[in-house]
Amino acid sequence: MNRVKILLFATLRDYVGSKTIELEISAGTTIHGLTDLLAAKYPRLEKVRDSMMAAINREYAADEAVVPDGAEIAFFPPVSGG
Amino acid sequence: MNYPTIISITEEKLDLDALLAQVTLPSTGASVVFTGIVRGLTTRGAAHATSHLDYEAYQPMAEEKMRQVADEMRQKWPDLQGIAIIQRVGRLAAGTPTTVIACTTAHRDTGVFEAARYGIDRLKEIVPVWKKEVGPDGEFWVEGDHHPKLDR
Repeated sequence: MNRVKILLFATLRDYVGSKTIELEISAGTTIHGLTDLLAAKYPRLEKVRDSMMAAINREYAADEAVVPDGAEIAFFPPVSGG
Repeated sequence: MNYPTIISITEEKLDLDALLAQVTLPSTGASVVFTGIVRGLTTRGAAHATSHLDYEAYQPMAEEKMRQVADEMRQKWPDLQGIAIIQRVGRLAAGTPTTVIACTTAHRDTGVFEAARYGIDRLKEIVPVWKKEVGPDGEFWVEGDHHPKLDR
């Protein structure tokens, strides 16, 4: 099992109630799998999971990307800067 | 060539004159400075009033993505000289400048207008910054419609 730290922003932070969380995941877990775990633990994420963005080490990551050990993971809604 | 590229996420008031000076070279003859502003009254779409916006950023990734935007601008418009991309965060009242895209060239017909437009469009697509809109009718997070997962 790997312990990963996950950063959350904007609406997702509100839904989870915390800026950062830590989870135990098995080696080989993908962003899709991690999203499943999060949605199971925080049901309010279920309705927004299709629009959730993920980043691994500060770069956008696809659903099938494998979460590397010790990586910085972030989930956030579509960006709205400017 | 060592042209200035200034990238910043800041809570400080934006100083447009100082920024412009930082991207102005002896050979500069044209600049375009785009600034986004907190719109107090929206009439397009659902009309509403806004008192302020609360901005937040995933700062290290946002800075990397702003640098990517600047790199893309230089690739597309090789005549660009200086580039500044600044995003202000925190609580910004209606009427306040929020972001600056400034770029300079020797002459105005070398893509400087298009480059600034591209810069703000890309910032809104890929730079991880969010804003919560607060007005008399309550508050809500604004969400963009671009999905960089599918189209980087």
